[in-house]
Parts: sequence; structure tokens; C-alpha cells
Amino acid sequence: MGYEWDFTVVLRDFDLLLLGLLNTLKVTGLALLFGVPLGLTLALLRLYGNWLVRIPVGLVIEFLRSTPPIAQLFWFFFALPILVGVEMDPFKASVLTFSLQSSAFFAEVFRGGIVSIDRGQWDAAKALGMSRNETLQRIILPQAVKRMIPAFLERAIELMKTTTLVGTISYADLLYEANSIAQSSYRTLEVFTVAAAMYFVVIFACSVAVQLLEARLTRPDESARH
Amino acid sequence: MEEVLRIEDLHKSFADLAVLKGIDLAVNRGETIVILGASGSGKSTLLRCVNFMEIPSSGRIVMNGRAVGRAVDGKQTYSEKELTRLRARVGMVFQHFNLFPHMTARENVMEGPRTVLKLDPAECARRADTYLDKVGLAWKADAHPSELSGGQQQRIAIARALAMEPEVMLFDEATSALDPELVGEVLGTMKELADEGMTMLIVTHELGFAYTVADRVLFLSEGRILEQGTPAEVLTYPTQEGTKNFLRGHGSFRLPEPQLD
Ligand SMILES: Nc1ncnc2c1ncn2[C@@H]1O[C@H](COP(=O)(O)OP(=O)(O)OP(=O)(O)O)[C@@H](O)[C@H]1O
Ligand SMILES: [Mg+2]
Repeated sequence: MGYEWDFTVVLRDFDLLLLGLLNTLKVTGLALLFGVPLGLTLALLRLYGNWLVRIPVGLVIEFLRSTPPIAQLFWFFFALPILVGVEMDPFKASVLTFSLQSSAFFAEVFRGGIVSIDRGQWDAAKALGMSRNETLQRIILPQAVKRMIPAFLERAIELMKTTTLVGTISYADLLYEANSIAQSSYRTLEVFTVAAAMYFVVIFACSVAVQLLEARLTRPDESARH
Repeated sequence: MEEVLRIEDLHKSFADLAVLKGIDLAVNRGETIVILGASGSGKSTLLRCVNFMEIPSSGRIVMNGRAVGRAVDGKQTYSEKELTRLRARVGMVFQHFNLFPHMTARENVMEGPRTVLKLDPAECARRADTYLDKVGLAWKADAHPSELSGGQQQRIAIARALAMEPEVMLFDEATSALDPELVGEVLGTMKELADEGMTMLIVTHELGFAYTVADRVLFLSEGRILEQGTPAEVLTYPTQEGTKNFLRGHGSFRLPEPQLD
């Protein structure tokens, strides 16, 4: 005996799922927008700051990387308002949590990319009279970023998947909407199948786009032959 | 004769390893000096102290009559800004070329004039054309380093250094990483520079080149100049046991000069 698939509920409430998806993309997008530059800043501080900067920055990065994201989310949503007396809504708490959390991971991606560049590149730039900042901007980061694209993509996908936790503080992302439709319609199987497919389509499309970009960027200049 | 560079009692140690133990050397404008020495004798360290890629442990570098750094309690101290400015006046060519792989040959050559000298785009372009042409690679201007042979890469690296219009050029084993058939084109470019009156300090193992191009040859041993003189004096009639041993090692498989005419 087969299960009777019935997608009518899903179709009727598809606009809710789309709204949920939009919210998922909003949190993910903003977290990337803040997390990537913050990650670069943390990486540079950790690499080139004096020890008074390096040690605390390192601790913050390690702390963010090794505590459960849901605990961080709860902390920013429930605890932070008590501590500093600011209004916190689910959206703000979500963006804040995932910006910080992903910045820690991006910091490590940036650091790995920067240290992977051959010492000879620093030597050549220095011999021309370039300062450290000029060398980073013009020589090191352009090469490092290209190498980091796969790791970036992986972190961004991981981030989008982790944002499904925002439902726990009642932020209406895709999974949260799916869950509420499923509960009112009893069409659990259909609803979650469609929701999963929507995640898949978005993530798969992004990853294809990034791979195309990477292929374009790395075509003419593999590192110099010796 | 006009002195461009003077090295005074230069010492350099890495932790407890003393690498340079008192080097004195005056270099005249237009002079080509070849530095020989066994592996580990401090040749690279000497060059890297001249443009302050390494900070000397003690001693002074005098450029155009002015000492680099300030004496504080009898010890030279340097500001990063001064060192950056000095490096821009000294060109360096590396064993492994170290071209910027994300830039074309032309962009490599323009990078110094653009970022360091902050010249306007027209002047940067003019320098790129001039120096790519000088190393005979104007036709490769738009190639990336990965599309060039080792010899071509090294000539681009020379053009990149020349585009800063430096007063002194340093070459650290510029041909050691090249396939034998590509060595000639790079040495040829270096010889042309010498003939045009560039001041050059060259570390190389190419004794033939040293013999024909150098005005002076130094033999470095354990961080000191053991012997120096004209190529004939050092390479043909060495007086020091260390120099003789080194030349013996290099001469064991020497072929007679080919008679081509
Ligand atoms: N940055 C550094 N830190 C520590 N030790 C160093 C450093 N650079 C050079 N040395 C040491 O200094 C000594 C001299 O090195 P240097 O590279 O100047 O020799 P070299 O004459 O250029 O040798 P080679 O012919 O092998 O290039 C070596 O023992 C080397 O290990
Ligand atoms: Mg060396």
C-alpha cells in the first residue's frame, strides 16, 4: 500500500514557504556581509597584532568556533538584553549571532589563505619598497582570496544550514514556516520534502555559481613555474 | 670615482649564529662586483643586509655618502619608513624570480612605480614599455608568469626591479634555478646592464660570467671577505687556501673554451 502524496496544502501555502526562504536568505546574507570583513579584520589582528591584541583575538575566535551555535543564539537573544539592557528581537539576535559566529570561521579561512602564500612574494614586494599593508592589499590578499574560494563556499553553505536554528527563537525562516504548515495541515512528508528541496536548489545554485567564478578567476595564472 | 655604497664593519647574527663577521666594502658607481663563496658563507645575507631585507646586527650601510639609520648610543636604529624608501632605491633579483602570479608581465613591471613611487599612469606605462623592451620581452607584456619560461620570468623580474630606476642592483643566484639552456639569456641581460654602467652586486656560481663581466670579485668565507681583486687576480691567481679549494671544486669538470670561428 502506497502513501497518498498530496501537495495541495503545500501549494496553497507556498507563499509562506517563500517568505521563510527569503528570511533565511536575509539572515545568511547579512551574516556574510558582516562576517566576512569582520573575519578578515580578526585574521589580520591575529596574524600581525602585538601579543596584547593577538591573544584575546585568538581566544575570541576559538571560543566562537568551539561553542554550540544554538547556545550562542540563546545567549544573544535571552542573556545579552539582561546584561546591557538593549531590546533584542529574533531577527537582530539571529544576524548578530551568525555574523560573529561566521566571522570566527572566516578569520581562520583568511589566515590559512594568507599564510599559504609563498614567502618569496613578501620578499619581492618588500624589495620594491612596498609596506606591509600595500603588500597585503596588492599582492597577498588577491592571491589568497582566490585560493580560499572553495573554503569560503563551504563555510557559506554551512552557515545557511546552521541558520535553521533561528526557528528556536521564533524567527520565521524557511524551516520554521515549514514546521508550522506541517503542524496545521498534517502533511508533514510533503511540506518537509518541499522545504528540503528549496534549500537544495538555493545551495546547489550558489555552489555552481561559485565554481564557475573560481574557474574564471584561476584560469590564466596558476602560481609561477620554477 | 664616485662612491655609491659603502658597507662598514657589517655584522649579522641569527640568534647565536654569527653569519657576517665584519664586512667592509666600498662600491663605486657603475662597478660590477661578483661575490663568490661556498654555501652558507653568508652571500645572501650580505645582499639582504644591503637593502635591509635583514636588519644588520651592527655596522653601517652608507648610501651616497649618507648613513642609513640614526646612531643611538653607538648603535644604528632604523625607522620602517626610511627602510622602505631605501629599498625602493635598491633593486633585487631573486633565485626563484618571485614574480606576482596574479599580474601580467607588464603589471609586474608597473607595480613598483605605481604603488611605491606613486607615479602617474602615463609615466608607469612609459617605464613598463622601456624596461620590458630593455629585457627584450615587450612582446610578452600581456602574458602571466605561468605562461613564460624560467628565463623569461627572470628577465621580467629584472625589468620589474629596473622600473624603479634603482642606484644599485642586487642579484642573488639569479640563474641557479634555470635550466642550463636558459641561463645564457639572463646572463646576457645582466651583462648588458653592466655595460651600460649599472652598479651591481652579483652572487653567482657562473665563474665564466664573473671572469668576463666583473670589475671586482670577492670571495666570501665564513662571513668574512677572504680575498678580493680583479677577476684575473682572484680566479686565475688566488692566494688564499680557501679560494683555491673553492675554485678546485668548481673547476674539476671545466671544458676548454669552444672554438666557434
Ligand atoms: N633568516 C634566517 N634565520 C636563521 N638563519 C639564517 C637565516 N638566513 C640565513 N641563515 C643562516 O645563515 C647562514 C648563511 O646563509 P646565507 O643564505 O647567507 O648563505 P649563502 O652564502 O647565501 O648560501 P647559499 O649558497 O646556500 O645560498 C646559513 O647557515 C643559514 O642557515
Ligand atoms: Mg644564498
